[in-house]
Parts: sequence; C-alpha cells; structure tokens
Amino acid sequence: MPEDKARRRVVRAHNAPEHDQGISDHGYPAEEERDVYEKMRLSKPVPVGTRRRVPPPATNIQEALRQNMEHIIPAIYTLLSCWTRFHDIGKSNYVVWDEAHFGKFGSHYLKREFYFDVHPPLGKMLVGLVGGLAGYTGNFDFKSGAQYPDDVPYTAMRVMLSIFGVLMVPLAWYTAREMGMGHRASHIVTIMTLCDLAWLCISRFILLDAMLLFFTFLVIFCLTKFHSERFEPFEPDWWLWLALTGISIGCVCSVKWVGFFATAVVGLYTIEDLWDKFGDLRMPVRTYFYHWVARACCLIVLPFIVYATCFKIHFIVLNHSGPGDAQMPSLFQANLVGNDFGRNPVEAAFGSRVTLKNMGYGGGLLHSHVQSFPTGSKQQQVTCYHYKDDNNHWNIAPPWNEPAVDLQGPIRFLQDNDVIRLQHSSTKRNLHSHAVPAPVTKLANEVSCYGNETVGDNHDHWIVEVVDDLKQGRRSNVKRIHSLTTRLRFKHKRFGCYLRAANVILPQWGFKQVEVSCEKDTSPSDTHTYWNIENHWNDRLPMADRSHSSSPFFRDFWHLNVAMMTSNNALVPDPDKEDILASKPFDWPLMHLGLRMCGWGDHQLKYYLLGNPIVWWSGAASLVLSVIALLVYALRWQRKYADFEPAELDKYLFMNKLSLLGWALHFGPFVIMGRVTYVHHYLPALYFAVLSFGALLDHFVFSSRRLNARAKWTVFGLIVFAVVDTFWWFKGIAFGIDGPIGEHKGLQWRKSWNIY
Amino acid sequence: MAERAVRRRHPLTEGLRATAQSSSDTEHDTPASRLPLARGQGAHSQPLGYGESPRTSRIVLAVLTALAFVLRFYKLSHPDEVVYVSRQPSLRLPTLTPSSFDEVHFGKFAAYYVKREYYFDVHPPLAKLLLALAAWFVGFDGEFEFDTIGDSYTANHVPYVGIRALPAILGSLTVPIVYAIMKESGYPTIVAAFSAAIVLFDNAHIAQTRLILLDAQLVFFMALSIYSYIRFRKVRYSEFTQQWWFWLLATGFNLACTLGCKMVGLFTFTTIGICVLVDLWDILDIRKGHSMQYFWTHFGARAGALIVFPFIIYLSFFWIHFAILTQSGPGDTFMSPAFQETLKGNELLLNSQEIRYYDTIVMKHKETKAFLHSHPDKYPLRYADGRISSQGQQVTAYTHNDTNNHWQVIPTKALPTTGRGRIVRHNDVIQLRHVATNTNLLTHDVASPHMATNQEFTTWPVDDNTRHNDTLFIVELVDGEPNEVWKTKAGYFYLTHVPTRVHMWTHAKPLPEWGFKQQEINGNKKTPDKSFIWLVDQIISDETGADLQNRTEPVVEKPVKKMNFFRKWAELQVLMLQHNAGLTASHPYASNPIAWPYLFSGISFWTQNDTKMQIYFIGNIIGWWVASTSIFIYIGMLVGDLIGRRRGEELIPDNVRNRLWNSGGMFVVAWAAHYFPFFLMNRQLFLHHYLPAHLCSALVAGSVFNFMITENINYPVSVAGPATRLRPLQRTDIGKQAALVTAGFSLAMVLGLVFLGPLTYGTPGLDGDQVNTRRVLSSWTLHFAGKKTHDVSG
Repeated sequence: MPEDKARRRVVRAHNAPEHDQGISDHGYPAEEERDVYEKMRLSKPVPVGTRRRVPPPATNIQEALRQNMEHIIPAIYTLLSCWTRFHDIGKSNYVVWDEAHFGKFGSHYLKREFYFDVHPPLGKMLVGLVGGLAGYTGNFDFKSGAQYPDDVPYTAMRVMLSIFGVLMVPLAWYTAREMGMGHRASHIVTIMTLCDLAWLCISRFILLDAMLLFFTFLVIFCLTKFHSERFEPFEPDWWLWLALTGISIGCVCSVKWVGFFATAVVGLYTIEDLWDKFGDLRMPVRTYFYHWVARACCLIVLPFIVYATCFKIHFIVLNHSGPGDAQMPSLFQANLVGNDFGRNPVEAAFGSRVTLKNMGYGGGLLHSHVQSFPTGSKQQQVTCYHYKDDNNHWNIAPPWNEPAVDLQGPIRFLQDNDVIRLQHSSTKRNLHSHAVPAPVTKLANEVSCYGNETVGDNHDHWIVEVVDDLKQGRRSNVKRIHSLTTRLRFKHKRFGCYLRAANVILPQWGFKQVEVSCEKDTSPSDTHTYWNIENHWNDRLPMADRSHSSSPFFRDFWHLNVAMMTSNNALVPDPDKEDILASKPFDWPLMHLGLRMCGWGDHQLKYYLLGNPIVWWSGAASLVLSVIALLVYALRWQRKYADFEPAELDKYLFMNKLSLLGWALHFGPFVIMGRVTYVHHYLPALYFAVLSFGALLDHFVFSSRRLNARAKWTVFGLIVFAVVDTFWWFKGIAFGIDGPIGEHKGLQWRKSWNIY
Repeated sequence: MAERAVRRRHPLTEGLRATAQSSSDTEHDTPASRLPLARGQGAHSQPLGYGESPRTSRIVLAVLTALAFVLRFYKLSHPDEVVYVSRQPSLRLPTLTPSSFDEVHFGKFAAYYVKREYYFDVHPPLAKLLLALAAWFVGFDGEFEFDTIGDSYTANHVPYVGIRALPAILGSLTVPIVYAIMKESGYPTIVAAFSAAIVLFDNAHIAQTRLILLDAQLVFFMALSIYSYIRFRKVRYSEFTQQWWFWLLATGFNLACTLGCKMVGLFTFTTIGICVLVDLWDILDIRKGHSMQYFWTHFGARAGALIVFPFIIYLSFFWIHFAILTQSGPGDTFMSPAFQETLKGNELLLNSQEIRYYDTIVMKHKETKAFLHSHPDKYPLRYADGRISSQGQQVTAYTHNDTNNHWQVIPTKALPTTGRGRIVRHNDVIQLRHVATNTNLLTHDVASPHMATNQEFTTWPVDDNTRHNDTLFIVELVDGEPNEVWKTKAGYFYLTHVPTRVHMWTHAKPLPEWGFKQQEINGNKKTPDKSFIWLVDQIISDETGADLQNRTEPVVEKPVKKMNFFRKWAELQVLMLQHNAGLTASHPYASNPIAWPYLFSGISFWTQNDTKMQIYFIGNIIGWWVASTSIFIYIGMLVGDLIGRRRGEELIPDNVRNRLWNSGGMFVVAWAAHYFPFFLMNRQLFLHHYLPAHLCSALVAGSVFNFMITENINYPVSVAGPATRLRPLQRTDIGKQAALVTAGFSLAMVLGLVFLGPLTYGTPGLDGDQVNTRRVLSSWTLHFAGKKTHDVSG
C-alpha cells in the first residue's frame, strides 16, 4: 500500500466525537503550527483515568451504585481475594518452607533477643507483632518441617499476614484505573492478580514476600496517583501522594532490599519529570527549585526516616543478648541484657585468653579452624567469623625469644608496642603471616595458623599498636590495654604489614567467611585494620564491674547494614553443591521451573510455588509485544503518521514506561548479580508484566476503533475464562495437595516442572 | 493533495531537501571538490590552516608509520624464549589450557596448524591462522611444542622472529590507520597526529604486538572496520555507486576479520550496528523526503553487507580451519563422538565397538573421568549430619582402573542365541551386575550420602528377586536414534532408573573416609545435562570369557567419516562460547574492568631471574590518563550542551555541535561498546582486554583536543552527491599552539615510553631501586622490586 494512502487511513479530526469525553478538545495548536520536536505541553489539566468532577448526590439506589462503581468493584474483588487467601490457610499444621526463618525471627522479637539476618527488620517486626497479637509467646523454634504445637497460633498469624496479600488485589484495580486503563483492562489486571497462584501461594504463609509485594504495589499506586496530580503542584493532594509515595518507598525498602528496585522506578520517573520541567522556560526558577526540594524531602529524606526508624525500633525491641550478637560492635553487645562483657577483667595481660573483634563496619571475630587453605601455603585457615564459638579464642603469649608466661610470677600487662604471639586456643597454632599472596586479595600477604606450642618462627610475631582508647583517650595516654575500649592494630614484625579483614568473602572452602590478610600499604585511619578485645578471660585478674555508655545509633545502624550487605554477597551459588530449589532468572518469565515448598511424601500436604501459566506467559508475551509496538510506533512517528492524540500518547507512554521499566528494573539486577536466586524473586517483576499486559490490551483491543463492542467483550471473556479456569485447575498447588501426588493428573504442563 | 500537505510539514519537493539539510545534521561539499577536501583538493580556493597541506599530511603519516615500525621491531628477537604469563606456583591453575594468553598457547596453536593436528581453543581461528601462515612462511616445521616454559627459541632453531613479525607489522600499521580515521573524520593533521601518538608511543600496544599473541590482529582489524565505515559514511550522498559499495563491503569484511580473531569482535559489530541504526533512522525521517522503498533498499544493502556477508566470511575462516586440521590432536576430547570420527587417527575410529548382552564392561563418567565402582564395604548407618543410609553396599566412582570397576550387562528380555539381536541398543532396559560381588546395581528412594535431594545407589544380590524392579535401568544414548547401537567410546549415554526416573550422576566432591575418598554416585532428578554423560571405556570380556578379538574381525582402521560443515561449525562455536564463559578460575593478574582506564594494574608477562629482566604489560601512563580523562571531558561537554539547549541557550554553533555529536559520539560509542560489556562478564578479565577500547579513547582524545583548541571545524568533509545542495567551504586553522601542544605531548609520551621501556621490551634488566622508581602506582606488582627500608625491620 502506498505510504500516503496508508497515512490517510488513520486521520482523525481533532474533535473526534466517538472518543473519550474526558479529554478536552481544545487547547492544542493546529498540527501545522505545532513543533513536532517539542515535548507536547498541555495548557489545561487532562484528567487521565480519574473523574474529577463531583457528581450530584444520588437520588436512588441505581444511581448510588453507578456513582460508587469505582469502589464497589474493588470491594467485591477484595472479598474474593479474602476467600482465596484465607481458604484452608491453617490446613498444613507444620512449618512450611521459609516459615522456618521468618517465624523464628518473629519469635526473637517476642523474646527480645538480638538476632541477625540479611533482610531489614520491618517485615520480621510485623511477623513478631502479629505473633504477639495472636498470643504467641515466642517459644517455638520453627524447625523446618516440624509440626506446630498447640500453643502456636500459626493460623491466626498466617491470616493476619495474608491480609497484605488480600490488599494486593484492590490495589491492582485502583492502580490500573489510575494509570488510565479502561474498565475491561482493569478487570483483567485485577483478575490476574487475584488468580495468580504464585502470588496466592506465597501470601498464605508466615513469609515476607506478601508484605514486599503489597508495598511494591503501594509504591506504584501512589506514584500513579501522584502522576495524576501533576498539573496541580503544591496542592494538598499533590503533597499527600508525594509523601505517601515516599513512605511506601521507605516501607518496601525496610522489608527487603529488593524494594530498592521499586525506588529506582520512582527515581527514574522523577528524573524525567524534573528534566521536562527544566526545559519549561516559562516556569520561574524559584518554582523549579521548590520542585526539587519537595522531591528531595519526600522521596529521599522521608523514606530514609522510615528506614532508619525501623532499625531504631529493631534495636529498642531487641535489647537482650541473642544469636546475632557477634555481628555487632563489642560496645553494642556490652549494652545488651544478659551480656557479661562488663564483668570481664579490664586490663589485658600476657597469658590472657581473648577474642578479637574487627572494628571496621561489618567486621567479625578473628577465627581459625582446623581446615587448611587449599591454595597458597596450605596452612591452617584464619578467617573473620560472625558467630561465637571456641575457635575465636586466642591466647596472648610472649614472643619466641622470651620465656613463656610464668603463672606464679608477676602479671605482665599488655602495653603499646609490645611484641606478642597470638596462639589459637583450640589448635595451639600461632597466628602467622608470610610472603604468600592471600587467597582473594592477591596483593596482600596470607595470614594463617602455623606451628604449635614449641614450633614456630619469627613470622609469628606481631607488634601491638594502640590507636586510642574510648575511656583513656589518645594513644600517648593509654597505659595499659583495656578490653572493649582500646582500639588496636596488629603489625607483623617481620614484614611491617597490618592484620586486616575487609569483608572480602572466601570461596566455599573457607565456608564463606571473611578473609583475613596482612596488608602492606594501608592507611593509619583504615578501620578494617582496627581490632578490639571483646571477651577476656584471665583467672589471675579480678572480675570487673563496668557499665558502658550506649553506642551511637547511626554507627550501629550503619554497621548492621554493612554486615547485611556482606552476608548478602556471601549468598552466592556454590558450584559444588546441588541446590534443587535455586533457579536462574531466565527460567522465570516463561515459568521453566516451579519450587517444591515442602516435603513430597504421600501423606503430606504439598505446596508447589508455581504461577498461573496463563498469567505468566501472557505477561512475558506482552512485554515483548509492547517493546515491538513501541518500536513500530517510533518508526511511524519518524514517518509522521498521526497515530495518537497528544493526551492519548501521554497515557500510552506513561503506561508503557512504567510497566516496561518497572519490569526491567525488577528483573535485570537479578541477571547481573551473582547471588543465588529463586523463583519468588520474580514475583515483584510479574506485577509489571501483568500491568504491561493490561496496557497492551487496553490500547490495542479495548480502545481500538476498529473492533466493535462485541469483539471486545469476546476477547475479554476469553481471557478471563482462561485465567480463572487455569486458576481453578491448578488451585491445589496453592491450597495444598493432599494424598499421593500421582492422583492429581494433568498438572505437568511443562516437562521441566518437578511436580511428580 | 491538500491532505498530504496537512499531514506533512513540508511538501515533497527539492525545496524540502534544502530545508531539511539546512536544519539537519548533514555535511556536504562545494563544487570545487567532489573529492573530500580533507585530501587537499580545493586548496587553491581557500588558504589552508597550519600544517594542513597534503604534503605535510603525507610527511606526518610517513613519520608516524616509520616510528611505529621502529618502536615495534626494536629488539623484536628479545627475549629469545617462550614468553609466558608468570603465575605464582601456589595458585590453582585453570584446568583448561585455553584460558591463558601467552606464547605457550598461541605458538603451540601455530605449530598444530603446521602439523595439521586438531586442537581446541576458545577463540575463533583467524588470528591463529595468520600466525600459522607467518610461521609456515618462515619455515617453521611445527616440531617445537612451546611446552616448556623458558625454553630457548634459538637453541631449538625456531624462526620465532618471523612469527613475531606478523603481529608487529599489524600493530605498526594500526598507527597510520588511527591517523587516517581522524583525518577522514575531518580533523586537522595535527589533531590526527595527536591521536595517533597516543597509540604510537603506548607501552601496552607495543608490548602486546611484539609477542605471539592475538591482540595485534584484533586491534588492527577493529581499527580498519572503523576506518572503512567512516569512508563509507563519507560517500553516503553517492549511494549505490561503486565506491559506496566498496566501502560498505570493506566494513563488513573487516568486521568479519575482527570477529574471526576474538569474540570481542562482537563489540565492534555493536559499534557499527549502532552507527548504522542512527543512519537508517535519519534516512527514515520524512523531512528527508525518501520513500519507504528507498529506505528498504538501504536497509537491505546494509543487512546484506554488514550481517550476511561478514557471516559468510566468518564461516569461511572455520572452513579453512577444518580443512587444515584433519588429523587427530589434543582437541579431540572436547568434541562429540561424531565430530571425532572425522579426524584421522582418532581413538574412536580405532576402538569403538558394539556392546552385546553379557559383555563385561567398564563405564566412565565423562566429566570427572572416574569409573563406576563398587566394593564389599557398606554405607555407614548414620552419616555425620545425622541422616540414615540403607547400609547397602557402596557404589562409588573411582579414578583408578581395577577389577571392581567391572560390570556385566544383563538383559531383561529374551535374546536370540546368536546374531545381531544380542546387541544392546538405545532405550534398552538392562541390569548391571557387579562381577566381583555378584550383585546388581540398584537405586531407591534413600538420600545419598552427600545430597539429601538425590537418591542413593547400592547393589542387591543377584539371586534375591525381591527388589527386581529397582535394579532396572535404561540405556539412553545422548541424541540417540531408535535402535541405535550402544558402542564403546563413542556411545555417550545417560543411565536412567526405570521406577524413579533418576539418572546416575557423580560429582567431584569425595566421600569421607568410610568411602575411601572416592566419588559419590547418586541418582539425580534433574534433566540430564553434560555432567550426566557416561561412556563405556572398554569391553573386558564377553559372556564366554573368550578373547574379544575373536568375536569380531580384527579391528581395522575405519575410514574417516564425513560431517556437514555447518554441524561441525555449530558444535565448535557452542563449545567455544561455553568454555569462554567457563573461564572463571582465579588468576593473580586478572583484574576488574574498573581498574583499566587508569591503569591500576598490569600483567607480568615474563621474567628472567639471572638478568633481572622482566616484561610487565602496562600502558603509557600519560597517554592512558589523557585518553581516559578526555572521555569525561567529552561527556561534560555534551551534558553542558544539553542543559544549555534545554534552557534555550545555544552555546555551540550548529555545525560544530553536529561534528561533536556525530564524530566524537561515534568514538565514544565505540569506546563504550568495547568497554562496558566486560562488566557483565563473569569470566576472568585482563588489562589487555582494554586495548581496543583504549584505541577508541585515543580517537575521543583527538576529538576533544580539537574542540578545545578551536571553535571551528573543517566543513564539509563528505563527498557531495549528484543532488546535494552545496555549502560554503570552511576550514579551521588551529594555529601553531596546537602543533606545539602536540609536540610537547608527544615528547612527554616518548619520555613515558622510555621510562617504562625496560618493562615493555624486557631489557635491560633493572635493579631493585630502578624497579621501585618505575612502580608509578602502588598497585603495580613488579618483580625484583627492591626492599624498602622499613620493610627490613625484622
């Protein structure tokens, strides 16, 4: 077809009568005058998706229904969602999958014991809160696969947590409406959210994912609301939605760090928005500046406050000593109830047994164990370890050229510049360094344990250098070395290098612990070379009774975050170990793999984490199709086809940018990062795939001028039928399959699923 | 046609062309010169800028080329031994040889070509073919194996200087190409010389091109690709002329050659691809007034010349590769049995035999090379982690050959007494009897010692039929056809358990003491991949126990089989990519891409303890820092321009900005395309991977230099076509200061080169203090460094 003819085919008058009454038909310059390269500017607000006019009060029920349709529909969906989420929720009376972790963490809040985990605390605090509300006392250890005892109200906990899952559904509806989708597309988005089995399954247990998903949905919802307010800046509603966006960002990031991807979506939207405004020469610079300030306050400061508050509460609640102590600085630990550091002898002496804590952010305890390095010297490994055990104990011994500690003689206290030997208590080997490159940090020297009580050489000698002391002050004032408060450096006497642990993870052979090396060129202010004595035992010294001022919040906050980051980085797949649960990102969009969430015995209730195939596949397909459609439209734009009304274009681009970017930002990072990944990491990204599907249908089917209403309803009906039907077919995998799996036929739609 | 006037901003007339060209970013020529003015035509019409006469240009070009040859051929014969990348002996070496990048490997590959023995390497063959060609040309007989590190070339009469001359020549020619790229892009002679100097006096380029390596070839073809694309771009107004086609096809050819050297060539493809897309996008612009048919013709021409044509060229390298390497060699074992059977003298051709029921065989796991083994010892009741075993007889994988590896194939169906019915075929259900203990192999739903998710393998007495079903296994040949015969060596198979569908599998982690540190055998539920492959290593005896050779006719050497070229190529290509991605083992000189542009670390290529001589691969720090910084300056200029224009301020004249965006932009795209993808790679990376990107950054540096010293440009530089509206000629005069800056910069580069020269040329040897001085950045790990005084405290 000749191009000119084709172009004519889509000509539309500006006052297209059949189209969207919501769009004002004035305010656009005639097309000839309009600069096609300039970003379209709207002189009047164009409501997208929302109806701003306030209708007159309803006079009869029909009218009232019609007016409140916007809320009646989501209310119905919410009820349906309650049924799917709550149905048989307590049927499996044993600990399913990661309930083992998150239930246990919740228990720690109830028992107020300090624990450590890679995820920020908000989600787990909610688990604890829910447990407390339900009357759980925190005395169950949530062993994987164990049966719940009678006094654990697991059903009530699950129900309360799945409310987050319930609310995903109405949020999906409102978001779709707010993005500007028509009724039919919004119904499809909502039904898909309601009927996806992976979302359903994951929100029925004591897990964090339902909260993560809910807050992700909330961020996007607030963003779309804010987007609709963009023509009335600095009005109360504008502020409200901007602030709510910020708060929901804070929440989503405080549940899991995956929330930062949602933050990135908002960030990119804001950058584009500010760039647009930057080109608006009519806007006063002062106004423009206010736009910056408003966003900085609401989208950076506010989320940070939420995030930090979560940690503050975390620290306030967890004030007892617990399993996570060793992750934190010694001073923090000293302030926990049940900790006995304050009673340890104060002044270290030769013959003392000590543990040494690295003072860098995220630092651990100096550790050694009988396993040897597979590379380098092949001597005994020395690492930094974040849990307390006897392998962290070291004896302070005099160098080889001096007599051993005389247990009857006078006590010789440890002082600045003393030369010592650090003997590992359980293996009796000496902390040793030599001119062999460290296993990971190749440019530093390896630190190992070598010799025994009688065998050794001058490579075992370390000079104790005091940095300063919290109580005694500067180095020159430090007479004797105190436990907890004195900051030390250990300098290798032979090579002049410093003992250092800088959060570098060893491979599997080192049990993913932190590498310890001897660094030659290190600055005196490098805190990763600072150590302090944490535990201190010496029978000949009197027990102390010290109290400590509390450690500064932001130091603990930052320390904990670095420790979380370090542990997270250590979660890399182990090439030597088979992990049947893990999957690769590219397995997800087309649902290559499912995940068995529990044992598969005939008499067990079985849950299988697998999406609704129709939802996942159509979502993946629509992502591809949307990109193709955008490309085709770009080509047609370059040929100056008039495909869009300006407002229509704005809406179309907003929907596509949001869904495609959102998906890419929630999917791409998993491809790049080396961390071990599971199917449920795709669940936030799936939302954007579903939105993209809705947007695609809305644009090409439900808003199409070529299709009549009947065709549109047919498409709508078919899709809804397919989604609901598949949901019904597979519902067992989320509600729990009873009896031998072989009796439930027809579930294996792909060969790679390990259902049977 | 009122309709059309409404829809389009401009009527489709010649007038539109004129408007369009004044508003868009095209450049074209005056009537005085139908040839590029950069070549000096039209000199009489306007005074030339400083140093702009064609004579000067020729002289500069000649000097640059001559210097390049001098610097690269200087002491080419040193060192006269195999240069290898030194590693601390303590570090675990990658198990695959192709992971390294030194003369040990590429010299050896040249030798294999000369001897026509099949080898396997992760890189495509062109660069190595060229090396082999050079080797053959200078009379290398291929007998020297480059095996022993530090072996003397002279003592073994290897014409190594001739082989090294090839990279040296190509490396030298890269310098004039860089100059020509800048010249053709419209930059003044002095600016072009500036860019060329960055490559000319660079220690890294010199070091890499003086040795038997692949990067000289790669960088040469990559520069040539950019050059030919720019030439093509300049003749775009005379479309579909001979010249136009020539440069388009030349671009395609050079791209293919780049890719033929290393897979890094894909980045060059990306670069040119992006430029082509931008170009096509412009053609599509309706204000240019082109029809869609016109667009599709252009699209087709580019697709043909830049995708199809290079692909054919690329395939032809492999065709030559396979045509030369017809003998069995060290690369055999990487390939599939079908492929191996195409090689003369391959073991499979000699030994592969059909397996019959009741044969006693030895099975081997392909990946770990361990034999299926069993012995009377039982699994312990309780493992260390508290799980419980069946306490059955242990089944393990054992790397040594002993009689406990013997298993007999038992049929599960009625057999004819003689004939071909007794042959085991694809998908047959069998039992495997362990000969020494008279038990059958069995697996059941009990967790294996190491992996709770996998099934334990054990054995069961032959005469106890209670567990008969659990002893049934299917022989699934890999890619097997129905009724395909199970053969020794060639017949790769998975052993699948009938009732539970698990596949027999093993892995390198040894069992504890109770299992004698042998490998665990377990049943894995996963879809089989290559770690599941087993093969029958040999037939020990048949059912009569008689000598095997009597059963079949004496083994005669079978004729070499044929295999479709495309299947061979596809197999090799996939293997190359897999092994390339698999090079993840750590290496002391591997570095993170972030460390490259500013030279934070180098690679120790070669050392000699007696003379304290060493080659340390590191760039000329002045050139690298200037080039890398220029990229930041360029980005700064762009951002400044964008911000200015967004606020309605036109800071730069249109034509200057277009040059900045188009020419400088292309160089930056080239740099980015050759640099950023490395961040996504998990394999081990080295500084020399940055060389192509460094060359691009030299181009950017020239471009930025030009925009800093003058506010004018040479315009237009493209060749006018028949319908181009002609523009007034404009020539920049960058003046004497530019020449002085370039001269001063070159001097600094020379000083830098000379200063680090001993590390680049490997001679003369340096004493400790001299090494310390040359350690410009503390992160450089030079050998023979002198002890600093404070180091000697103990």
